[in-house]
Formats: sequence, C-alpha cells, structure tokens
Amino acid sequence: MTADDRTGAAHPPEFRGFFENLRLGSLSFPHCPDCGSFHWYPMKRCPHCRGGRWSYRTVAGPGTLYSWTSVHRAFSPDFTDAVPYVVALVEFPDAPGVRLVANIPYEEVDTLRVGMAVEPCIDRDAATPTFRFRPARDRAVGESPSSRRAEHDRGHGG
Amino acid sequence: MAQDVAIVGIGETPPARRSPHDVRELTLQAVLQALADAGIDPSEVDGFATEGMIVPATVPHDYMAAQLGISRHFDAGMSFAGPGIVGAPQLAAMAIRSGLARVVVSYFGVDWGSRPGGPYGFHDPYPAKMAFEKPQGFNGQPSYFALWARRYMHEYGLDPDHLGLLAVQQRENARLTGRAQMTRALTLDDYRAAPMVSDPLRFPDCCVISDGACAFVMTAADRARDCRKPPVYVRGVGFSSAPVSSEDAFTQPRDLLTMQGVREARAAAERAAGLSLADADFAQLYDCFTVSCLLQIEDLGFCAKGEAGAMIAEGHTRLDGRLPLNTHGGLLSYSYRLAAEHVIEAVRQLRGEAGAVQIPDAQMGFVTGLALPDFSLLVLSR
Repeated sequence: MTADDRTGAAHPPEFRGFFENLRLGSLSFPHCPDCGSFHWYPMKRCPHCRGGRWSYRTVAGPGTLYSWTSVHRAFSPDFTDAVPYVVALVEFPDAPGVRLVANIPYEEVDTLRVGMAVEPCIDRDAATPTFRFRPARDRAVGESPSSRRAEHDRGHGG
Repeated sequence: MAQDVAIVGIGETPPARRSPHDVRELTLQAVLQALADAGIDPSEVDGFATEGMIVPATVPHDYMAAQLGISRHFDAGMSFAGPGIVGAPQLAAMAIRSGLARVVVSYFGVDWGSRPGGPYGFHDPYPAKMAFEKPQGFNGQPSYFALWARRYMHEYGLDPDHLGLLAVQQRENARLTGRAQMTRALTLDDYRAAPMVSDPLRFPDCCVISDGACAFVMTAADRARDCRKPPVYVRGVGFSSAPVSSEDAFTQPRDLLTMQGVREARAAAERAAGLSLADADFAQLYDCFTVSCLLQIEDLGFCAKGEAGAMIAEGHTRLDGRLPLNTHGGLLSYSYRLAAEHVIEAVRQLRGEAGAVQIPDAQMGFVTGLALPDFSLLVLSR
C-alpha cells in the first residue's frame, strides 16, 4: 500500500503506479492492452472491457485545459490558508478518456481559457511527489521541455 | 401507475440552519408528524422504504422501528442521497401493490448544519477522491459544479445573470412561504455582488445547509380514504444511472454536461404514470446549485441544450410561469434535506396547502433527486 503523507490514508494497490511514475518524473494513466482504452480513476479491471491486464502508460505531459475553477472558500481546514487557488481539469492527447484534476498557480488565473495548451511541472523530489500545470510556454501541445518519459511503464501490481 | 398508492401524511421539522436536536430526534419528530397528519397509528406501519446510504448510517430502520414499536414486514433502501429519497416511493408502491405491506413510511434527516465539515465530509471516504482530488483542494461540491459551469460557458455560452435570476426567483418563493431558512431579499444586484465560492459560482448559486428531517406515509387507496387529508397519488417513478462511479461522475464522463439517463428517467416515469410532464403544474427540481438545476431543465427536455438560461430569464419558471419551479424556494433558499422537502412541498401543492406559493388548481407535478450518477423522478397527482 502506498501511504499518502498529507492525509495519512493508504491508497489501494491499483493507485500505486501513478505515484511511482510521478516519483520518476512522469504522469501516467491506466491503459488496457486488450481494448486499447485508458480509464481514470484507476479501477480493479478495465471498465471498458473488464480486462485484467491494464498497466500504467506514461504520457508526454502537455495537455489541454478542459475546465477550471478558482476556489475562494476552503472546504476543509487543510486549505484555509491556500485560498484562492485554481483547480483545473486537464486532458491529454496521448491519453484520451482521462481528465486529471490539477492545480495551476493562481497568478495565472486571468490567462486561463478553456482549450488552451497546458504543461506539467512535476516536483519528483518532494517528500510526496507533486504535480502542477501551467499555461504552455509555447503554443504547440506535445512540446514541453519539462516533460520526461519514464524508462518503462509500471504495472499496477494489484 | 393508476391511482392506487397514495401519500397520506407528511411531516417536516422547521427549516433551520442549526437545530439543538440531533438527527435522530429530528427524524423521529418528522415521522410522528407524518403519522399524525395521516391519522395513522404507528402500530399500523408495516414497512419502511427510504434512501439507502445516509439513512442506514444515521437513523437505521431498526432504530426507528424500535422507537415506534413497529414490526416491519417490508424493508427497503434505494440508491443514495437525493435519488434514494425521491425514488423510495417506487419501492413503497411495489410493496403495497404486491401486498407485502399496507402502510409504508419513508423518512430522511440530516445534521449537516451542525456537523463539522457539513456535507463536505460526505465524499471523504472515497479512495480516488482522497488520492487524486483532495490533495489538489478539489473537495467541495461547489467546485465540482463550478467546473461544469465554466465548461458550460465554453460549450453553450452562459449569462451569469441567468443563474442569478434563478436564485432570485427561488428566494422570492422562499420568502413567500414564511418559513424558509433564507428570509433576506435577494436582488440581481445582490447576486452580482455576492462573493465567489468557487468561480463562477457565488454564494447564492449554492444551496443552504440545514439540520432537519422530513417524512411521509404511503398506503393503498382504499386505506387512504379514511385518512385525514386528500390523498396524493404516486403515479410513477423513473430512475436512471450511468456506468460511472460517483467518484468519477463529476470529472470523467465524455459528455460531462449531459447527465446520462435523465431523459430516459423522464420517459420511464411518464410511461408508468400514463401522463406527460409537459402537463405538470409545477416541478420541484434538485437544485443543489443553480447550474445543476439549469442542466436538469435541459436534460429533461423542457428546452434545448444551452437554452435553459433564456427560459429562466423569460420567466417561465416563476410561480406564474409555464413550469413553476421549486415553489418553496428549493434547496437554494428553503432548506437542504436533499429533496425530501421537495416531496413534502409537492404534496402540499397537490393538497392545496401551499399557502402564498400555491399554484392554482395544481393537479400534477414532479420531483427530482440528483446524486451523480443516479437520478430519480417522482410523478405525483391529485
């Protein structure tokens, strides 16, 4: 089981690969070799074909802003000091069917537009690896100097 | 469904942000009130049909039965949250029709007004949310629907004033009832100036939080004849869902802004009732947020996608409009008991007991309950 430092809650084994790849500097999502689909959030079996052989496949990193909100009122004590902050939903050209919840620095809020290119910023060295997104420095999705491929895909080990 | 199963008693604790009573006391009060309203003694109750997740955790059936001296011969829970509350009459009707029970009670209570964390703790036990949403601070229902509202703006265009007008209309209704939680007047200017909770949703876009309970009693039409009030018939229930978990439902569905199954639920309810919702005299829609109410108007087919804002702005959802909406002020202004109060208000309307918000000669109306991915629609008539 992978512990989550912030909450102290243990994650199910099928979540583990996401965090392991994050530690290596990559975003990755469950991909099924039987039907070729991604799914998110990670499930025991592929929800599209019920196959049991899915594994984490890394994405290049850059994505598209599907939507966002800026949160002005904290819903839990952990975030009282964080408001205002931005929560975004990011889609990936190389992981169709996945929408990732991510933060974008609040100072970018006025530049945000649905459909814009965004790129990840992964802090792999933190005690708990984290990721954020920001508007892409260049227009073309698919080019990101900060993305990194993992050496190999990780199984979910579940 | 023919007019063979009726709601014969209703009870609700007064809408309140906070109550000195706990949820069991509140729920018990509502049940006793409903039974007294019906003129039915608890000893005659032989079945419970309620929402299926929150009720077992807060006021389990066996507790309520023990408190009231009831021996159940039928016991059922349905779905969770709003769809469970609004859909439970389907189970009661099935039991009564098949002879498994004669008098069935449904109840729902909540103490989120007093409980630390309120409704936000509701999603804490979900593993995917804990792992992939909570660390990002995405852990409150206003943020879930704020993402939807922003996407809706992109796909269809949305005049925020249309959301504001819905909030304003429902506040007016609430004030007219004389017993709603929110009594302060709300103008469109007030709405525009209201602080953001999760952009683009402001405080008036979000439902209130309450301590309180509602209950209602159902029985067969022949038993209903001897009850104290005119019967309100359970004509049909439509229930729908989608193959997506409640953890994924706010972010992952491909077509995020069309709630799968809502249109089918309407069709199923209409088939069961032998009625068309186009003839409804009112609609009590699950308005956890202005935007979720707007989406239901569209997904139910009362207007095209992208058109509900205009429909609201043109006054069609006012008390004097063609589809009076949330006559008591809804979850936005009346109270937040996950549409249990919507069932109570619908019964009041059909009995002619709705006072200042009475829709003249109301004959038929419907109630919706929404908790993604589930959805229920209940058709009631005189």
